[in-house]
This record gives sequence, C-alpha cells and structure tokens, in this order.
Amino acid sequence: MNKTGILFFPAFDWSLGETHPEREERLLYTQEQLFEEGVFDLPQIRQFAPGMAPLGKALLTQGIFPHPAKHDLTAHLIAAGSTLVLGEALAEGQIQNGFALVRPPGHHAGATVLGNRGFCTLNNEAILINHLRSKYGVKKIAVVDTDVHHGDGTQDIFYHDPGVLFISLHQDGRTLYPGTGFASEKGGPNAWGMNLDIPLPPGTGDDGIHYVLENWVLPRLDEFKPDIVINSAGQDNHFSDPLASMNVTARGYGRITELVKPDLAVLEGGYSIEAALPYVNLAILLALAGEDYDGVVEAEKPTRPQVSFTSLVSRVKELKAEYAQAQPNWVWRPEPYLPDGTWAYIPRMIYYDTEGFQEVRFDRVRKCAHCGGTVFIESRRPPSRGRYALVRIPFGACPQCSQAGYDLWEYLIGRVETVQLQDQAGAQVLFWHLDEGVTHFSTS
Amino acid sequence: MRRHVGIDVGGTFTDAVVINEEEIEKKAKVPTDQDNLLQTLLSALDRLGLDGGNPVDEITVSTTLVTNSILQGRFPPVELYLLPGGGMKLESLSWPVPYKIMSGTIDYRGREILPPDELQWRRILQERRQNPLKSDHVAIVGKFSHRNKLHEDQLAAYWRLAEPEVHLALGHEWGQANFYRRSLTTYLNLASQDLWLEFARELERAVGERGCHAPIKVLKTDGGVLPLDQVRPVETIYSGPTAGVLGAMAQNPDASYVVVDIGGTTTDLGIVLSGSPLVSARGAKIGPYKTLVRSLAVRSVAVGADSAIVREADGLSLARYRLGPAYCLGGPAPTPTDAMCYLGVVPYGDRVRAEEALASLLPDEHHLPADLTGLAESLLEEMAGRLAAEIRAMEQEWQDEPAYKIWGVLHPHEARQFYVWVSGGGARGLRDFLQKQLRVEVRVGRFPEVSNAVGAALARPTFSCTLHLDTVLGRFSLEESGEQGKWQGSIRPHAEVDAFLEKSAERLAAAKGIDLTGTEKEPFDFFPIVQGYRTVGQIVRGRLYVPPGVRGHLNQRPEVGSRRSET
Repeated sequence: MNKTGILFFPAFDWSLGETHPEREERLLYTQEQLFEEGVFDLPQIRQFAPGMAPLGKALLTQGIFPHPAKHDLTAHLIAAGSTLVLGEALAEGQIQNGFALVRPPGHHAGATVLGNRGFCTLNNEAILINHLRSKYGVKKIAVVDTDVHHGDGTQDIFYHDPGVLFISLHQDGRTLYPGTGFASEKGGPNAWGMNLDIPLPPGTGDDGIHYVLENWVLPRLDEFKPDIVINSAGQDNHFSDPLASMNVTARGYGRITELVKPDLAVLEGGYSIEAALPYVNLAILLALAGEDYDGVVEAEKPTRPQVSFTSLVSRVKELKAEYAQAQPNWVWRPEPYLPDGTWAYIPRMIYYDTEGFQEVRFDRVRKCAHCGGTVFIESRRPPSRGRYALVRIPFGACPQCSQAGYDLWEYLIGRVETVQLQDQAGAQVLFWHLDEGVTHFSTS
Repeated sequence: MRRHVGIDVGGTFTDAVVINEEEIEKKAKVPTDQDNLLQTLLSALDRLGLDGGNPVDEITVSTTLVTNSILQGRFPPVELYLLPGGGMKLESLSWPVPYKIMSGTIDYRGREILPPDELQWRRILQERRQNPLKSDHVAIVGKFSHRNKLHEDQLAAYWRLAEPEVHLALGHEWGQANFYRRSLTTYLNLASQDLWLEFARELERAVGERGCHAPIKVLKTDGGVLPLDQVRPVETIYSGPTAGVLGAMAQNPDASYVVVDIGGTTTDLGIVLSGSPLVSARGAKIGPYKTLVRSLAVRSVAVGADSAIVREADGLSLARYRLGPAYCLGGPAPTPTDAMCYLGVVPYGDRVRAEEALASLLPDEHHLPADLTGLAESLLEEMAGRLAAEIRAMEQEWQDEPAYKIWGVLHPHEARQFYVWVSGGGARGLRDFLQKQLRVEVRVGRFPEVSNAVGAALARPTFSCTLHLDTVLGRFSLEESGEQGKWQGSIRPHAEVDAFLEKSAERLAAAKGIDLTGTEKEPFDFFPIVQGYRTVGQIVRGRLYVPPGVRGHLNQRPEVGSRRSET
C-alpha cells in the first residue's frame, strides 16, 4: 500500500505573542479534528516524530545576518527539521507522499534573513529542497505555492536557480501583503522562465483556482518534468480567512491537492484557525492519502462575493499575455572588484512587517551558460551602516563560477561586517564575522 | 505481615504465587483450561493451599477471559448506532462490526452544528418493535461526544423511555478523542459486560466458599488493579504481557531495561525506563478492533519455548503454533525447549528424549553429537534472532514517538544503556543466545517461571484524571470517566484550575475505591483563545495520575537451602 507520511508538529508551547495569529491555539482544533476522525488509524498513514535541523543546513540556503546567534531560531529549526524528516522518508522510499503539518511557517523567509517577516524566519521548503539536492542528488524540483500570499521568500531564494521551478498562486499583490508576485517576475538571467507568479483577483473561488491549475500550472509542470513537487500549502484562500478573500472551500483544497499531486505538502499560512484549519488540513491529508474528502464540510458557509467564472477566465488570459511579454528587470553592471564575467545587477527593498523595518539589497548574479551562476547579495538594514554579504556557489556550479565565489569571499572579508559563503556545490558553509573570524558550518 | 496472592492465566499454564512481604512463600503452576478459566483459577488457588486458617490480604488475578471471548467472537450481539456528522467517510476505516448511521453534528469544540432528527429515532424504535431478533445491547456513539455528550444523552433518554430494559452504552464514557476507537471500545465493553459479571460473581462465590474473604482484584492492561466489580471488562484484555512487565519491575528497582517474557507459544516484550513502564501512546489493539484501552507499550512475538519446529523447503523453522509440551517433557514433537534441554542450559527435561527429538529432525547419517549440538544451537539462534529483531523494532518505535511541543523536542528521552531482563520457562536457556544477538547484558531473575504471577501480586492501582476545560464555552470534561459539566470559574483560571483538577481527581478516585498516593502531574497546557485580537478565554489541559508500578520489590538475595519447586 502507498504510504502517506504525516508530521504533525503544532508547537503547542510557542507563539509570536499572546494574541498573535501565530500562537499556541493555531493547530489545536486541527489536532482535535485529526485525532477524533481517527486519520492516524488509516492503514496507509504513517506518523513521524519531529526533528531539529542543524543550523548548517539552514545556512546552506539562507544568509542569516548579522549573525545566527542574534535570532531565536529554535522553533523555526524544529519546523524546518521536521520537514526534513518527512523529506528523507520520501527520498528513501518509506512514503509515497507526505504532509508536514508544522508551525511556524516559512515561505516569506528569503535568501537573506534580518528578522521575522510574514511570521517566517526560516524557509522550511527551501531548506528541504537544498537538502534533497545535496544528500540525494535530486536534480529538478518544483514548488507550487497555494498560500493566498505571494511566496516571496521562496521565490527570492530560487530566483536565479535553474533547477527549481517556482510557481505561486496568490491573491493579487495590489490587494494583499506582501505586495509582490506579478506575472512579469519570471526569474533571473540564468533561470529566466523558472518563476511563475499568478496573481488572482479576490473571489476566485474553487472553480477559478482549479481552472488556473488545470490550464496553466499543470501544463507548466508537465513541461518541466520535476523529480519532486512540493506544495506550500497555505490555507488562507479559505472563504473564512480574516485577511484574504479568495473564497476557496476545504473540499476545494482537497481538489487542489489532487490536481497538484505533491510529493510533499508543507503547511504555510492560514489563520482562520476555527472556521478553516480543522477542515482544510483534514481535506488535504485525506486527498494525499487517496481517501474521499467530500464529507469535509465546514460549519460555516461562504458569504463573500465570487467573481464570475467567465471574467476569471478572461483575467487568466490577460495574465498569460502579460507573462509572455514580460521583459527582464536587471541591468548588466560591471564593478572593478567583481571577478571575471558579466554580472547582472538588481537592487531591491524588502519590508519586514513583524518588526517594521526595511532591508536594502543589491543582488548580483554572474551570467553563466553552464550553471546557475555565482550569486552575490549585499544587504543592509538602514539606518545601521553595517553591511552583510552573501555569496552563493550554486549546485552544479562550473569551475569559473565556483572560483568567482571563493574570490568574492576572500575579497569581502574585512570589508563588511559579515560574509557568508554558501558553497552548495561543495556542501559547505563558511561564515566570517568581524568579531569572530571564520566559522565552518557542517551541512550534513 | 501482608500476604498477597497473584495469579496469571497464561495461554498454556496458569502461574500462582503467595508473596509474603518481599519473599515468595508459595508457588504453583497448573495447566490452563481455556474453556473453563474459573476452574483453572480455583485449582491454582487450591494448589496454593488457601483457606481461612491462613489468611491472605488480597488476591489479584490476570485473566484472558475477555481477551479470548473477543478474539473468538463469543459475545452477545450489540447494535451500534453512530452519529458521525461530516468529515472523513466511515468507510475509510475498516469496521469489524455493523453499524447504523444517525444524524446530528457536534464540532471539535463541542458545539452543536446540526441537531439530531427525532423522526429518525422514532422510525428506528418502531423497526425494533417489529424485529424479533433485536439485541437488548445498544451502543450509541457520536463524533466529538467526548467534547459534548448532548446528542448521546438525548438519544439515550428517548430510548430508555421506549425500551427501559435495554442495556445502553454511550461513547462519551470513553472520553478520549478518536471516534473510531471510541465506537469499537464502547461496543466491546458492552459486549463483554455479561460474561464478566458472571465470572466475577462466580469467582467471589467460589473463593468465599473456600473460607477466604480477601478482596479479589483484577489486573488491567495499563498495569493497574481494580476490584472485580469496578473494572470495565475491556480494560482487562492483554493483562498477561502487562503482568510480565510488572513482574520484572518487582525484581529490578529503578533501572532501564527491555522485558522479554518467554511463554509457550508467544514471547511478550516490554520496556521499562528508569523504573517506569513505557505506556503506549495509542490504545490497545485486539484482533481487528482498535480500542482506547490504555495499555503498556508491549508487543507479542509468535515464538515461544514450545513452538513447533517445522521443516520448510530451505530448512527448519519455528512455527507460530504449539503442538503440546516439549518432547523432553513428554510432549508429541520437538521444540526449542528440547534444544535447551539437550544443550544442558535448562535444569529440566529428559535429555534422552531431547536427543531423540533433535535426531528426528536430521537425516540418519547426521545423528552425531556434533550435528545435534549444531542443530540445537541454530534453532535457539533463530529464536533469539527473531526476538532481537522485534526488540530493535520496539526500541525504534519508542524513539519515533511524536512530540507536539518544543519542550518535548529539546528534551527527548535520553538514550540509556539498556539491559535485557528475561523471564518465563525458557529464560535460562535463551540467555546466552540473546546476549550474543543483542550485544547487551541479558539477565535472568530468581523466579523466571512465575514472573507474571509476581507482577499480578505486586501490582498497585493506577489512576489518571485528564481535564479538558474550555472557559469560553464554560464546559469541562474528564477523559477517564467521561464526566462533562459546566465550568463556573474564571475565564483565565490559573491556581483555580489546579485545585479543580485535584478535586475532580479525588472524586474520581473515591468512586473507584482508589487511595490517591504517589500522584504526579503533567504540566498544564494553556491555550489562549483569541477572537478579533482579544483574548476571550482559554482552553486548558491538565492531568493528574498515578503511574503503573509495584508496591514492593522481591528480595534478590540468592536462595538459601535447597531449591523447592511446586511445578
């Protein structure tokens, strides 16, 4: 029988604040529902125990500044580590698919981490993806983010990565946090077309979102032929969500899961903790386990307006045209200190809503026809003058890009406050800090 | 001086002991008559020589009565009525018993979403009036009835008016989550009730007729004891493996070890961590029934000292069944016990017959002593190998227990240095073979043959009171008794909830006749309930309990004088 893994880690002793949406109560009713239904007694369900990710694994994927010790990462490392437990079970063939029903979430946490944003500090899926690549040599991975908010953190991490196809369906950024995720965001110079953002109008509903999946997302997945598909399974498309207004039902989520057929679903947001989560989580789990979810009906009924199916279809047509016509947003900008090659330059601002500050970033990537290219990100948190640098040598790096990464690392030491080298190809992380010198982090 | 009697009814033999403080005063072993367990118990008692002139303080029995009746399907028909509401389809899980569906929906916090349909009730009772084959045992179970028993109570009240003679059992009396298991548990308990009450009555009477007036208690699968008339029958299933773990605890104070209790056809395994037995995270499973019955984390392996040895295409192997006693003890066919006897690692059996048994498994030209020794060793190696694999799997299962709090992830059970404690008939014979397989120390106690009876005799009551409180809805429930009531206290209770739990526990304990000593508390979980960025109340979970344990330890000094054996 095909096994479905479940890692349920509700972190009942952790919150971002007593009345914060990300609080102890969030998965309490989900637990009540899952336990009472007896889903763990389904013969094809296998439950796993949570684990803790070593910091080095997180650092292989994200730059944590000014220093990891400045952040309280415990809960986040358990959420990420638990995702890894399930990912390993998948890679080793113990399960056919799985659901990491864990908190805190991760998809707003990007390539650089200066604090918590959108309730996320570590990106659970991204850390998992890079772990699957480094430990099991998985080559092609696709992420389908069905949280109502744009998965901007995951997009940021893989924007220059030709090995990862990132697809996000979300409520239009003009009407919802984080305000990004437009059809024109297609990926960096070495990964053009590997990013697909589909901003949808409020009131899209079950039929609308299934239409988008069947007519755009699934064909794109078929074309890419990923080895593994990961679903960032946020639950705030639900009709009862207090912030968003997408009008999707629990059964609608069950169908989303059936269509995307993820190898792993990872919980993201969703803060309608009574009216949505117990039902949506159950529907997703049942769909993964191949069971009938048709009886999963909420106590409340949808009351919000829904866009008509025809206007949704024509909106999708416009979006496809916008996507087809999108132009690159980078410039080629040489600097005397940059190693040999052509470097794209993308300046960015990232807002951290939890603490209310801006990160200023200058992203650079080395154009390369052989690999994902060296990535160099300079980060600052004004008004502080300290500068942090992240250098990434991608999986499958060519010798030139690899050399460029180490040249940059050596050049930057002493010139900024913190330098982090992610040698994904060589499976090591080096961290240099003004006060401490170089630290080696194990990534295994 | 306190004298305790313990009797363990095993699949093959029934063991009995009288324990006087920390010494075994008497031992007895009688064959188990599966068709007459009452008689088996009485003959074991008679072998101990109990009468009015030699009073004992308490008798504890561990019996397979309910286990057997469930596994053999020997119970009266029960009609099961379910109120499943929405959610997962009932057919997703396999139901070993038929059921009827009724309407009515309660949600995860115990709020009524859809009231039941009285017309439907009327129709069902009407049908029953016309049905001559209707059962007078009716179980009613609603999804989320452990959070709100409203619908079960309403239906029961209606039913009692119409059919006052019917025996009703309601699901909320098993107040833990899991609708599926709650349904089956309610069903099995109701189905076992008559059989159990009759057995209890007969046993009390027969013991009384022998001039013995000691209270009789029964061992539960969670390791606790209760008076015969207080126990819920289904809680007595699989008390044998539990008795084995308790027997080990009576001889191993405060250590961490794996218990291996070798029986005739099965071997039971258990884990003790720093003197406390590991309790199963889920309820016991019996045959096709998954239940909510709390049990120790034990597993039974289908290999024992009397397992038949069968010839297969690729050699000899140990069967899952027993043909009778070992050949060296007068039985019909070779067994692992014959191998032990031949190798001289057990002090019983006829070595000539053991040799004969082993020889029968080999072709004529291989009847040399070296061949027979090799065969005996390889048979015991196979047995030890199977047990070792199961021990490793059980340890892994324990390591894989889920945790739901950060505290639990940061503070896992430490990997301890375990040893292995073997009891049962073949304990001495298998020790070296197990030690070789597991590469840890394997110990055998002084009384391997009566370890289970010792466990029964020294078991003490367990107790548990788990509170679930929702201050917003003003409702509380106690898992173990299924009691539900109104919460009159504050919206955000603190010290108040502690006192409330203690008082509830005292009430529960008094009702069961349990003396509350040695209680422990799990830290309370407080879940602030927020509506619109305002905290409106809390859900609080807490538990007060007495863990399974023994009331004394056997003296482990070497025996003085000659070995006396009643077997």
